[in-house]
Amino acid sequence: MTDTLRSPQHEVADAFEANELFQRNGWTDGLPIVPPTEPLVRSFLEAAGLAASDAVGVEPVRRRRITAEKVAIAAVMAGCRPEYLPVVVASVQAMCEPEFGLHGVTASTGGSAPLVVVNGPVRLALGMNATHNVLGNGSRPNATIGRALRLLIVNVLGGIPGQLDRSTLGHPGKFTLCVAEDEEDSAWLPLAAERGIAPGASAVTVLAVESPHQVMNEWTHDPAELAETYAAAIRANMLTYSIWAGNYAVVVPKQHRQIFAEGGWSKRDLRERVHARARVTRREWRSVGKGAVAPRKDEDGVYTALRSPDDLLVIAAGGPAGGFGAVLPPWYGKKSLAVTKGIRP
Amino acid sequence: MTLKVLDPRLSAEGEAASLAAPLATLDGAVVGLLDNAKIGTARFYDHLEEILRVRYRVREVIRRRKPDSSRPAPADQLGELSAADAIVSGIGD
Repeated sequence: MTDTLRSPQHEVADAFEANELFQRNGWTDGLPIVPPTEPLVRSFLEAAGLAASDAVGVEPVRRRRITAEKVAIAAVMAGCRPEYLPVVVASVQAMCEPEFGLHGVTASTGGSAPLVVVNGPVRLALGMNATHNVLGNGSRPNATIGRALRLLIVNVLGGIPGQLDRSTLGHPGKFTLCVAEDEEDSAWLPLAAERGIAPGASAVTVLAVESPHQVMNEWTHDPAELAETYAAAIRANMLTYSIWAGNYAVVVPKQHRQIFAEGGWSKRDLRERVHARARVTRREWRSVGKGAVAPRKDEDGVYTALRSPDDLLVIAAGGPAGGFGAVLPPWYGKKSLAVTKGIRP
Repeated sequence: MTLKVLDPRLSAEGEAASLAAPLATLDGAVVGLLDNAKIGTARFYDHLEEILRVRYRVREVIRRRKPDSSRPAPADQLGELSAADAIVSGIGD
């Protein structure tokens, strides 16, 4: 299935020297890489049923054609196993859709990272993590699938910090940010199913996000109060970061899901409540040091975090104990939107 | 025994877009300025246009502003800019 590989080859003494070469040339994220040799790259392409020259996607602004070969190289470097490649490929396809705005999210001073949410049987087949420390370290597929996207952005899209990547700060999710949804331990509809993917199929949903912000509420059994905690964190983000409406993501742990389930709240109910409650006026900018821009328009004008309830991505994930959830704000309002893509079996 | 590793970059394949050959002179040329709709670009291009006209005696400057900094320039703008001998395209801030 694989055809001729087109990438030039570099000869090095051993794996240590391969890493030294990649570090020296800025071809990595600062962490060590697995040397992308031809046999490894071929085995990845074969596992995904792809030819090296297949176009996985085209970055719409600079028209960079992303080949399966380059995606496989990034996946090898990131430490993926061959069977992870279809998840990486689907994520790249999602990021190349125009509504994702890949160029903007890669280049912006706002410094976002692609969040990948994985749904369906592939999570179990790859042993992905949806529970303890789900936004942190510990799971190979979570860590390396997300990292493969970053390495691809650096090497294929030129998203090199200080060059095309103009991030003022960036955030730790730019190393990797990939989670599986805990479909087995949730009464809720999986995210991908809500977004049109057939039941039983695997899919990724990708969204450009700022750093996750943890919220904590362990003192209520009232779903409305819990929803208010998430809405308050979103309001704070609207005032201190960006007021513009777009896709927010919330990660809801088991302890919170139980309270929503006991109250009969679906994901839809939570989305509608957050849509109703996550809103601010321009005047409130005065309370956070942004008085200079508050009067540029009607200060009593109401701004919503979500254009509609559907803008909120609700993700069931996290360890079994603890009332800790997270809000992941959008990079810049609706300039980059969430995209869901099926994973080729 | 050595190891052969594959180059991870796209440009290494020569697939990336390449720049056109530079003009021999700007004197009498038509220059396009594509504004990427960031806050400072218009002022920067005002200054650049003056330099191009006064110091380099370009014949015409075609200025277009993209509707959105993070999206491609619309086809009609690219069509209008194609009349230029050289184009300055703003990316980033």
